[in-house]
Amino acid sequence: MAESTIADADAAGTPPVARSSISQAPPVAVVDGWEVSQRTSDAVLTLSDESALAKVVVHGPEAGAFAGAMGVAFGRATRRDDGVLVVGSSPGEWLLIGAPGTGAALEAAVAAGVDPAGDPAGDFVTMVDITHGRALIRLTGAAAPSLMAKICAVDLDDRVTPNATALRTSVAKLVTDVVRDDRPDGTRSYLLHCDRSSGQVLFDAVLDAGIEHGIDIAGFTAR
Amino acid sequence: MILVSCPWCGPRNSSEFRYVGESKGRPDPNAATPEEWRRYLYVKSNPADWATETWYHRAGCRRFFAVERHTVTNEIRETRRPAAQLRLEGGGS
Ligand SMILES: [Zn+2]
Repeated sequence: MAESTIADADAAGTPPVARSSISQAPPVAVVDGWEVSQRTSDAVLTLSDESALAKVVVHGPEAGAFAGAMGVAFGRATRRDDGVLVVGSSPGEWLLIGAPGTGAALEAAVAAGVDPAGDPAGDFVTMVDITHGRALIRLTGAAAPSLMAKICAVDLDDRVTPNATALRTSVAKLVTDVVRDDRPDGTRSYLLHCDRSSGQVLFDAVLDAGIEHGIDIAGFTAR
Repeated sequence: MILVSCPWCGPRNSSEFRYVGESKGRPDPNAATPEEWRRYLYVKSNPADWATETWYHRAGCRRFFAVERHTVTNEIRETRRPAAQLRLEGGGS
Protein backbone atom coordinates (compact mmCIF):
# COMPACT_ATOMS: atom_id res chain seq x y z
CA MET A 1 0.00 0.00 0.00
CA ALA A 2 1.53 3.33 -1.09
CA GLU A 3 1.12 6.04 1.49
CA SER A 4 1.78 9.74 1.18
CA THR A 5 0.33 12.94 2.49
CA ILE A 6 -1.95 15.13 0.41
CA ALA A 7 0.78 17.76 0.25
CA ASP A 8 3.21 15.19 -1.16
CA ALA A 9 0.70 14.15 -3.80
CA ASP A 10 0.15 17.75 -4.90
CA ALA A 11 3.86 18.47 -5.06
CA ALA A 12 4.50 15.40 -7.18
CA GLY A 13 1.78 16.37 -9.65
CA THR A 14 0.08 13.01 -9.24
CA PRO A 15 -3.45 12.43 -10.54
CA PRO A 16 -6.32 13.86 -8.50
CA VAL A 17 -7.31 11.80 -5.50
CA ALA A 18 -10.65 10.08 -5.16
CA ARG A 19 -12.84 11.15 -2.30
CA SER A 20 -15.58 9.40 -0.41
CA SER A 21 -18.97 11.08 -0.02
CA ILE A 22 -18.32 10.95 3.73
CA SER A 23 -16.12 13.61 5.34
CA GLN A 24 -12.90 12.09 6.67
CA ALA A 25 -11.88 12.38 10.32
CA PRO A 26 -8.33 13.79 10.63
CA PRO A 27 -5.55 12.89 10.20
CA VAL A 28 -6.14 12.29 6.51
CA ALA A 29 -3.72 10.73 4.03
CA VAL A 30 -3.83 9.50 0.46
CA VAL A 31 -3.80 5.70 0.25
CA ASP A 32 -3.94 4.00 -3.14
CA GLY A 33 -5.31 7.16 -4.74
CA TRP A 34 -8.02 7.69 -2.12
CA GLU A 35 -8.19 10.37 0.53
CA VAL A 36 -8.86 8.38 3.71
CA SER A 37 -8.89 8.91 7.43
CA GLN A 38 -5.98 7.46 9.37
CA ARG A 39 -7.55 8.10 12.74
CA THR A 40 -7.04 5.38 15.31
CA SER A 41 -9.48 4.58 18.07
CA ASP A 42 -9.49 2.10 20.91
CA ALA A 43 -13.22 2.54 21.56
CA VAL A 44 -15.25 -0.63 22.03
CA LEU A 45 -17.56 0.40 19.19
CA THR A 46 -16.13 1.99 16.06
CA LEU A 47 -17.44 3.26 12.73
CA SER A 48 -15.12 3.55 9.75
CA ASP A 49 -15.58 4.71 6.16
CA GLU A 50 -14.52 1.92 3.79
CA SER A 51 -15.80 3.56 0.59
CA ALA A 52 -12.31 3.34 -0.93
CA LEU A 53 -12.69 -0.44 -1.31
CA ALA A 54 -13.38 -1.54 -4.89
CA LYS A 55 -17.00 -2.53 -5.45
CA VAL A 56 -18.27 -4.41 -8.50
CA VAL A 57 -21.91 -5.44 -8.92
CA VAL A 58 -22.64 -8.52 -11.03
CA HIS A 59 -26.03 -9.54 -12.40
CA GLY A 60 -26.55 -12.99 -13.88
CA PRO A 61 -28.75 -16.08 -13.87
CA GLU A 62 -29.74 -16.83 -10.28
CA ALA A 63 -29.33 -20.59 -10.75
CA GLY A 64 -27.04 -22.81 -12.84
CA ALA A 65 -23.33 -22.90 -13.60
CA PHE A 66 -22.68 -19.16 -13.39
CA ALA A 67 -24.40 -18.81 -10.02
CA GLY A 68 -22.44 -21.82 -8.78
CA ALA A 69 -19.16 -20.29 -9.93
CA MET A 70 -19.91 -17.09 -8.01
CA GLY A 71 -19.63 -19.34 -4.99
CA VAL A 72 -22.23 -17.79 -2.72
CA ALA A 73 -26.03 -17.94 -2.58
CA PHE A 74 -28.45 -15.04 -2.14
CA GLY A 75 -28.44 -13.95 1.47
CA ARG A 76 -24.88 -15.04 2.24
CA ALA A 77 -21.37 -13.62 1.94
CA THR A 78 -18.03 -15.36 1.76
CA ARG A 79 -14.46 -14.13 1.85
CA ARG A 80 -12.31 -15.76 -0.81
CA ASP A 81 -8.69 -16.77 -0.22
CA ASP A 82 -7.57 -13.66 -2.13
CA GLY A 83 -9.37 -11.47 0.43
CA VAL A 84 -12.25 -10.48 -1.87
CA LEU A 85 -15.63 -10.49 -0.14
CA VAL A 86 -18.34 -11.98 -2.38
CA VAL A 87 -21.85 -10.97 -1.34
CA GLY A 88 -25.08 -12.58 -2.58
CA SER A 89 -27.04 -9.35 -2.31
CA SER A 90 -30.24 -10.25 -4.18
CA PRO A 91 -31.50 -13.17 -6.31
CA GLY A 92 -29.17 -13.12 -9.35
CA GLU A 93 -27.13 -10.19 -8.00
CA TRP A 94 -23.69 -10.29 -6.42
CA LEU A 95 -21.36 -7.66 -5.03
CA LEU A 96 -17.59 -8.09 -5.02
CA ILE A 97 -15.65 -6.01 -2.50
CA GLY A 98 -11.87 -5.87 -2.93
CA ALA A 99 -8.82 -3.77 -2.13
CA PRO A 100 -8.76 -0.16 -3.44
CA GLY A 101 -8.01 0.09 -7.16
CA THR A 102 -8.81 -3.54 -7.98
CA GLY A 103 -12.20 -2.95 -9.65
CA ALA A 104 -11.00 -3.66 -13.19
CA ALA A 105 -9.24 -6.84 -12.06
CA LEU A 106 -12.38 -8.03 -10.27
CA GLU A 107 -14.42 -7.48 -13.45
CA ALA A 108 -11.83 -9.24 -15.62
CA ALA A 109 -11.84 -12.28 -13.33
CA VAL A 110 -15.63 -12.60 -13.52
CA ALA A 111 -15.59 -12.08 -17.31
CA ALA A 112 -13.00 -14.85 -17.68
CA GLY A 113 -15.44 -17.26 -16.06
CA VAL A 114 -18.32 -16.49 -18.44
CA ASP A 115 -18.75 -18.82 -21.41
CA PRO A 116 -18.27 -16.61 -24.51
CA ALA A 117 -20.65 -18.91 -26.44
CA GLY A 118 -23.42 -17.66 -24.19
CA ASP A 119 -25.59 -19.19 -21.54
CA PRO A 120 -27.73 -22.10 -22.80
CA ALA A 121 -30.81 -20.45 -21.31
CA GLY A 122 -30.02 -17.19 -23.12
CA ASP A 123 -29.29 -15.28 -19.92
CA PHE A 124 -26.80 -12.44 -19.85
CA VAL A 125 -24.20 -11.51 -17.28
CA THR A 126 -23.61 -7.80 -16.67
CA MET A 127 -21.07 -6.05 -14.46
CA VAL A 128 -20.63 -2.49 -13.31
CA ASP A 129 -17.82 -1.02 -11.22
CA ILE A 130 -19.83 0.98 -8.67
CA THR A 131 -16.86 1.94 -6.47
CA HIS A 132 -17.46 5.67 -6.96
CA GLY A 133 -21.24 5.44 -6.86
CA ARG A 134 -21.66 3.90 -3.46
CA ALA A 135 -20.73 4.52 0.15
CA LEU A 136 -19.48 1.68 2.33
CA ILE A 137 -19.04 1.89 6.09
CA ARG A 138 -18.11 -0.63 8.76
CA LEU A 139 -19.55 -0.82 12.27
CA THR A 140 -17.52 -2.98 14.67
CA GLY A 141 -18.08 -3.87 18.32
CA ALA A 142 -20.11 -6.10 20.61
CA ALA A 143 -22.78 -3.40 20.92
CA ALA A 144 -23.29 -3.20 17.14
CA PRO A 145 -26.54 -5.23 17.16
CA SER A 146 -28.04 -3.06 19.93
CA LEU A 147 -27.21 0.04 17.95
CA MET A 148 -28.62 -1.44 14.74
CA ALA A 149 -31.85 -2.40 16.51
CA LYS A 150 -32.63 1.30 16.78
CA ILE A 151 -32.39 1.99 13.04
CA CYS A 152 -33.10 -1.36 11.37
CA ALA A 153 -36.15 -3.61 11.80
CA VAL A 154 -34.43 -6.89 10.91
CA ASP A 155 -33.73 -9.31 13.79
CA LEU A 156 -29.93 -9.34 14.21
CA ASP A 157 -29.86 -12.20 16.72
CA ASP A 158 -27.32 -14.94 15.97
CA ARG A 159 -30.10 -17.45 15.34
CA VAL A 160 -31.65 -15.31 12.58
CA THR A 161 -28.67 -13.51 11.08
CA PRO A 162 -25.44 -15.40 11.87
CA ASN A 163 -22.03 -14.30 10.64
CA ALA A 164 -21.82 -14.04 6.82
CA THR A 165 -25.47 -13.08 6.45
CA ALA A 166 -26.19 -10.59 3.65
CA LEU A 167 -29.45 -8.72 3.29
CA ARG A 168 -30.83 -5.59 1.72
CA THR A 169 -33.18 -3.72 3.99
CA SER A 170 -33.98 -0.32 5.40
CA VAL A 171 -31.40 1.23 7.77
CA ALA A 172 -32.21 4.70 9.10
CA LYS A 173 -34.90 4.78 6.39
CA LEU A 174 -32.26 4.33 3.65
CA VAL A 175 -32.13 1.30 1.37
CA THR A 176 -28.95 -0.34 2.61
CA ASP A 177 -27.11 -3.58 1.97
CA VAL A 178 -26.13 -5.06 5.32
CA VAL A 179 -23.39 -7.69 5.45
CA ARG A 180 -22.43 -9.27 8.73
CA ASP A 181 -18.68 -9.73 8.45
CA ASP A 182 -17.31 -10.43 11.92
CA ARG A 183 -13.62 -9.65 12.45
CA PRO A 184 -11.14 -12.54 12.53
CA ASP A 185 -11.07 -12.32 16.34
CA GLY A 186 -14.84 -12.86 16.42
CA THR A 187 -15.84 -9.24 17.15
CA ARG A 188 -19.26 -8.44 15.74
CA SER A 189 -19.01 -6.30 12.60
CA TYR A 190 -21.37 -5.07 9.89
CA LEU A 191 -20.65 -3.57 6.50
CA LEU A 192 -23.33 -1.07 5.46
CA HIS A 193 -23.55 -0.11 1.84
CA CYS A 194 -25.80 2.54 0.28
CA ASP A 195 -25.96 5.07 -2.53
CA ARG A 196 -23.12 7.57 -2.45
CA SER A 197 -25.47 10.52 -2.08
CA SER A 198 -26.84 9.01 1.15
CA GLY A 199 -23.46 8.04 2.61
CA GLN A 200 -23.00 10.96 4.98
CA VAL A 201 -26.60 10.65 6.18
CA LEU A 202 -26.15 6.97 6.97
CA PHE A 203 -22.78 7.58 8.63
CA ASP A 204 -24.20 10.35 10.82
CA ALA A 205 -27.33 8.32 11.68
CA VAL A 206 -25.20 5.40 12.87
CA LEU A 207 -22.94 7.72 14.87
CA ASP A 208 -25.96 9.37 16.46
CA ALA A 209 -27.51 6.01 17.38
CA GLY A 210 -24.18 4.90 18.86
CA ILE A 211 -23.64 7.74 21.34
CA GLU A 212 -25.04 5.72 24.25
CA HIS A 213 -22.70 2.85 23.34
CA GLY A 214 -19.60 5.05 23.26
CA ILE A 215 -19.11 4.92 19.50
CA ASP A 216 -16.03 6.52 17.94
CA ILE A 217 -14.81 7.10 14.39
CA ALA A 218 -11.93 4.91 13.27
CA GLY A 219 -9.82 5.34 10.15
CA PHE A 220 -9.89 3.30 6.94
CA THR A 221 -9.14 -0.33 7.82
CA ALA A 222 -8.71 -1.43 4.18
CA ARG A 223 -10.77 -4.57 4.66
CA MET B 1 -45.17 -2.76 12.60
CA ILE B 2 -46.97 -4.84 9.97
CA LEU B 3 -44.87 -7.77 8.78
CA VAL B 4 -44.98 -8.77 5.13
CA SER B 5 -43.20 -11.99 4.27
CA CYS B 6 -41.29 -11.57 1.01
CA PRO B 7 -41.07 -14.91 -0.85
CA TRP B 8 -37.35 -14.21 -1.39
CA CYS B 9 -36.23 -12.28 1.70
CA GLY B 10 -38.54 -13.44 4.49
CA PRO B 11 -40.52 -11.34 6.97
CA ARG B 12 -39.84 -7.59 6.73
CA ASN B 13 -41.40 -4.35 7.91
CA SER B 14 -44.20 -3.34 5.51
CA SER B 15 -42.49 0.04 5.03
CA GLU B 16 -39.90 -1.75 2.88
CA PHE B 17 -42.58 -2.52 0.29
CA ARG B 18 -44.68 -0.69 -2.24
CA TYR B 19 -48.30 -1.69 -2.66
CA VAL B 20 -48.82 -2.07 -6.40
CA GLY B 21 -52.51 -2.94 -6.53
CA GLU B 22 -55.13 -5.59 -6.99
CA SER B 23 -54.01 -8.55 -9.11
CA LYS B 24 -56.14 -8.96 -12.21
CA GLY B 25 -55.87 -10.29 -15.73
CA ARG B 26 -54.38 -7.92 -18.28
CA PRO B 27 -56.48 -7.74 -21.46
CA ASP B 28 -54.78 -8.13 -24.82
CA PRO B 29 -53.79 -4.53 -25.67
CA ASN B 30 -54.34 -5.19 -29.39
CA ALA B 31 -57.84 -6.61 -28.96
CA ALA B 32 -59.21 -4.70 -25.94
CA THR B 33 -61.70 -1.90 -26.48
CA PRO B 34 -60.85 1.49 -24.91
CA GLU B 35 -63.56 0.78 -22.33
CA GLU B 36 -61.99 -2.57 -21.37
CA TRP B 37 -58.56 -0.97 -21.13
CA ARG B 38 -59.92 1.87 -18.99
CA ARG B 39 -61.54 -0.64 -16.62
CA TYR B 40 -58.25 -2.57 -16.42
CA LEU B 41 -56.30 0.58 -15.54
CA TYR B 42 -58.65 2.42 -13.23
CA VAL B 43 -61.55 0.33 -11.91
CA LYS B 44 -60.89 -1.69 -8.77
CA SER B 45 -63.21 -4.22 -7.10
CA ASN B 46 -62.04 -3.04 -3.65
CA PRO B 47 -63.61 -5.85 -1.57
CA ALA B 48 -64.02 -5.76 2.21
CA ASP B 49 -62.68 -9.31 2.18
CA TRP B 50 -59.68 -11.34 1.10
CA ALA B 51 -57.96 -9.77 -1.89
CA THR B 52 -55.08 -10.91 -4.04
CA GLU B 53 -52.63 -8.06 -4.55
CA THR B 54 -49.26 -7.36 -6.11
CA TRP B 55 -46.56 -5.92 -3.85
CA TYR B 56 -43.03 -4.79 -4.68
CA HIS B 57 -40.03 -5.23 -2.35
CA ARG B 58 -38.64 -1.74 -2.88
CA ALA B 59 -35.96 -1.76 -0.15
CA GLY B 60 -34.98 -5.41 -0.58
CA CYS B 61 -34.76 -7.84 -3.51
CA ARG B 62 -36.67 -5.47 -5.85
CA ARG B 63 -39.04 -8.23 -6.94
CA PHE B 64 -42.80 -8.23 -7.47
CA PHE B 65 -44.89 -10.89 -5.74
CA ALA B 66 -48.46 -11.83 -4.83
CA VAL B 67 -50.03 -11.19 -1.43
CA GLU B 68 -53.37 -12.48 -0.13
CA ARG B 69 -54.47 -9.86 2.35
CA HIS B 70 -57.73 -9.28 4.19
CA THR B 71 -58.56 -5.66 3.50
CA VAL B 72 -60.44 -5.21 6.80
CA THR B 73 -58.10 -6.90 9.31
CA ASN B 74 -54.84 -6.49 7.34
CA GLU B 75 -54.14 -10.16 8.02
CA ILE B 76 -51.90 -11.72 5.38
CA ARG B 77 -52.54 -15.43 4.87
CA GLU B 78 -50.18 -16.10 1.98
CA THR B 79 -47.41 -14.51 -0.06
CA ARG B 80 -46.06 -16.20 -3.16
CA ARG B 81 -43.87 -15.61 -6.17
CA PRO B 82 -45.74 -14.51 -9.29
CA ALA B 83 -47.14 -17.23 -11.51
CA ALA B 84 -44.67 -16.42 -14.30
CA GLN B 85 -41.75 -16.97 -11.91
CA LEU B 86 -43.19 -20.30 -10.73
CA ARG B 87 -43.55 -21.48 -14.33
CA LEU B 88 -39.90 -20.56 -15.04
CA GLU B 89 -38.80 -22.63 -12.07
CA GLY B 90 -40.95 -25.59 -13.13
CA GLY B 91 -43.35 -25.45 -10.17
CA GLY B 92 -46.87 -24.21 -9.53
CA SER B 93 -49.18 -22.99 -12.28
ZN1 LIG C 1 -37.58 -9.40 -1.05
